[in-house]
Amino acid sequence: MAEKHKPAPMVDEVSDFEILEVAVRELAIEKGLFSADDHRRWTEYMNTLGPAPAAHLVAKAWLDPEFKKLAVEDGVKASLEVGIDWINSMPTNFGTPSDYCNLRVLEDTPKLKHVVVCTLCSCYPRPILGQSPEWYRTPNYRRRLVRWPRQVLAEFGLQLPADVEIRVEDSNQKSRFVVLPVRPEGTEGWSEDQLAEIATRDCLIGVALPKPGVTANAKLPVHPAVNPVDHDH
Amino acid sequence: MSKPHYDREHHVKKATGIGDPQCFKGEAGPAKFKVGDKVRVKDLPDIFYNRTQVYTRGAPATVAELVYESPPAEDEAWDNCDNPEWFYSLIFKQTDLWPDYSDTFANDTLETELPERWLEPM
Repeated sequence: MAEKHKPAPMVDEVSDFEILEVAVRELAIEKGLFSADDHRRWTEYMNTLGPAPAAHLVAKAWLDPEFKKLAVEDGVKASLEVGIDWINSMPTNFGTPSDYCNLRVLEDTPKLKHVVVCTLCSCYPRPILGQSPEWYRTPNYRRRLVRWPRQVLAEFGLQLPADVEIRVEDSNQKSRFVVLPVRPEGTEGWSEDQLAEIATRDCLIGVALPKPGVTANAKLPVHPAVNPVDHDH
Repeated sequence: MSKPHYDREHHVKKATGIGDPQCFKGEAGPAKFKVGDKVRVKDLPDIFYNRTQVYTRGAPATVAELVYESPPAEDEAWDNCDNPEWFYSLIFKQTDLWPDYSDTFANDTLETELPERWLEPM
């Protein structure tokens, strides 16, 4: 009986594009364009990037109207103040890991809410926001957000009244986008660090609104299962 | 016979220390449209590659910003950087894009960027 309940071995699905990436990478290494170690170092560097700089950019903009103006006018220049150089970033000294260096900061108002998607692939402001979440890359999010934004946002738990204009930003060319949400009530007198904590990744993509007390690193309650299932493995 | 030499790094050399699309600044000439202009997206044939979403074809839009100058994606895909043009940030009304978009949310909009060749005045 126990034998029957053994789970099937996990099999990794590999997509055509992953196979293409491996093929191109191996050819590039064979040709001497870069080495396998270069590639590993690059991947390691990419994985050190996270949403903290963008959260600080938003927090600074909430605190300083002059900085907000700069951020909306020239996102690349404003990024320098949170330690991100889009144009001379290490380790290549070129504008990667974003291939392009045009950051636009989208300012929300009480009557205008921005939300970002890339319908054609999964363009994302990686230097300032890190790697995109898995759902951001799925065809499900990409094709549905442009057509049914309110329904998709509701699935994320965000329901907005009809008099708030929702503006979907389809990131299809060389600009990359972060959303500058409206500073929530109840944050009067907060420091930049406190404000940056509530400007979580999803708020900067636009699928959530910042709220005092809701941070990405908050401890969530763990409830024991009501009808626990016995596992024999 | 010597092998023909092709500079595969011309793009990266041009953009290093300046950034892409910043490295094409000033190369597109005068812009055909200005902020506030009403335009329509052309329905050009899809030959090989472009980044003009099918849902925008034939739709009316308003120019929100002249964002940068750059070769369009359909040229750049073939490493052709010879003809940079203006890129426009366009705002569409959702009800103009999707026939079944609810009138209750007629205020909703969508913004995206397209190069000049895809736009015609309305």
